[in-house]
Amino acid sequence: MFRPNARESSMATQIVMDHTGDTRHYFDAKDAQALAKAEERFKELTRDGFTAAVRNAAGDVSRVRSFDPTAEETLFFPRLVGG
Amino acid sequence: MFLFGRYPVEARSLIRVVRRLSRIFSSKDNSEARSQRLLRTWLTPEQRAQFDAKRYFDVIGCDSRKRYRIYYGTATNVHEIDVAGRPKVGWCFVPDGYLAAGDIMLAQKISLETNEVGALLIANRFPIELSRRY
Repeated sequence: MFRPNARESSMATQIVMDHTGDTRHYFDAKDAQALAKAEERFKELTRDGFTAAVRNAAGDVSRVRSFDPTAEETLFFPRLVGG
Repeated sequence: MFLFGRYPVEARSLIRVVRRLSRIFSSKDNSEARSQRLLRTWLTPEQRAQFDAKRYFDVIGCDSRKRYRIYYGTATNVHEIDVAGRPKVGWCFVPDGYLAAGDIMLAQKISLETNEVGALLIANRFPIELSRRY
């Protein structure tokens, strides 16, 4: 699978946890159409109860509640349930 | 040879299935391996080193500043650690659905580091004595 290097381009990634491990959606953050699609995916996932998170270079994570077009990598995981 | 001679189609079919299953379970790209790679990418350098050495890592709750230890596993794997470094109580919460251990541990880490109170409201407490880890 083609996995672009984000450092060399404006490619961003949305990572969605699932039964396969994860599914990755790559998009060009400079492409308005791709960006709109990514924003729509963000809204759908969070509407379905997924939590969205980003991390900085030091590895510190933060939750995001609205789509950040500048985020290089956004991780989504399903809603929590008591075990 | 015997198998191929007597049951050529069935035997070859079986061999194909066995080979395919073998590839799936030994693959470095199965769900468990993928989730482990994702987890390692999202850990801080300190957490990664701790996980590599001990198969668990510590996180600090964003609200209480308490320490939690997340063990490799898919359930009853989060322990609250007291100031003396001893396990105090267990918290069981997981992301919904069928996820591999690495994904579950990463969701637990992010939840405790960014929404500790929310995670613990959902979680079920369990006494550490019941755990096999101690």
